[in-house]
Amino acid sequence: MGTATPLTSVRRPADFIRWTLVRRGLGIVAGAVFIYAGGIKLLDPLRFASDIINYDLVPWSVAIRLAFYLPWLELLCGLALVFQRLFAGALALTIGLMAIFLVASVITKARGIDVACGCFGSISGNLSFTWHLVLDFVLLAILVGLWFQLRRPPCAPAITAG
Amino acid sequence: MSVIRQLLLLVGLAFLPAIGQALYYRNSTVWQEQPPTDSALVSLAEAESWGDKVLWIDARPDDQFVRGHIPGAIQLNEDQWDTLLREMLTAWSPERKVVVYCSRKTCNLSHEVAERLRKELGEEAAKNIFVLRGGWEEWEQRHH
Repeated sequence: MGTATPLTSVRRPADFIRWTLVRRGLGIVAGAVFIYAGGIKLLDPLRFASDIINYDLVPWSVAIRLAFYLPWLELLCGLALVFQRLFAGALALTIGLMAIFLVASVITKARGIDVACGCFGSISGNLSFTWHLVLDFVLLAILVGLWFQLRRPPCAPAITAG
Repeated sequence: MSVIRQLLLLVGLAFLPAIGQALYYRNSTVWQEQPPTDSALVSLAEAESWGDKVLWIDARPDDQFVRGHIPGAIQLNEDQWDTLLREMLTAWSPERKVVVYCSRKTCNLSHEVAERLRKELGEEAAKNIFVLRGGWEEWEQRHH
């Protein structure tokens, strides 16, 4: 009687600190990936447009416009993830972008087109399609994990039972 | 701020530098309806006219190569570069014309393999390295 019994559905302060650090760390990792991916494409929009056209899903006029826009979006989302500003919005956007990219990759591969994803400029040329998928799924898993972590209730004061 | 507002803000903010960069390229040929062509592209008819001088290089993944390839083609792709390059070099000589192909007109694995070959084989050899316009799809249409 009178013993404080924290409920398991809310986080204890120690858990809160731990998860904040994990979130921070994963946010920086995911953000850095997007900053790099966006930055490398910004330097060569023509190459990125060629990579987009490779998927054979959009005409060149759309591909070239996407090639000018998407790298900036990736860069901004990456910065938002690293600096934890507009964090939820950046998470939602990057999850959406990754999902669209993965679906497009699988569809294109199923159509027999040997795509080079163009995700990380010339570096990604050394990776096989399978490795691209594995890495993209890992990144997507991190982003989805962060999203659900964000949606959990924050640290609550200990609630006494009885 | 709600998630939707944050999302819209990021989407909107990205437009600003993108428009700036696009304006920088406003007089460039990138806005043309077709992607700029590679000067080292070669048509199937021209490549076939070279006869035995041609060394065909298949840049597609293993499974596609196994399903079918240009007779005499040697496989070379980024997945197993070192192993396959050794095999390719046994058949290659500087005077032979190397024609790299991938699955179709819009694929770019052939461009990447050709680019890497140009770097690794040197300037002289680079003059004889080409990419087949239309790729395997073009060859299949012509021969089946």
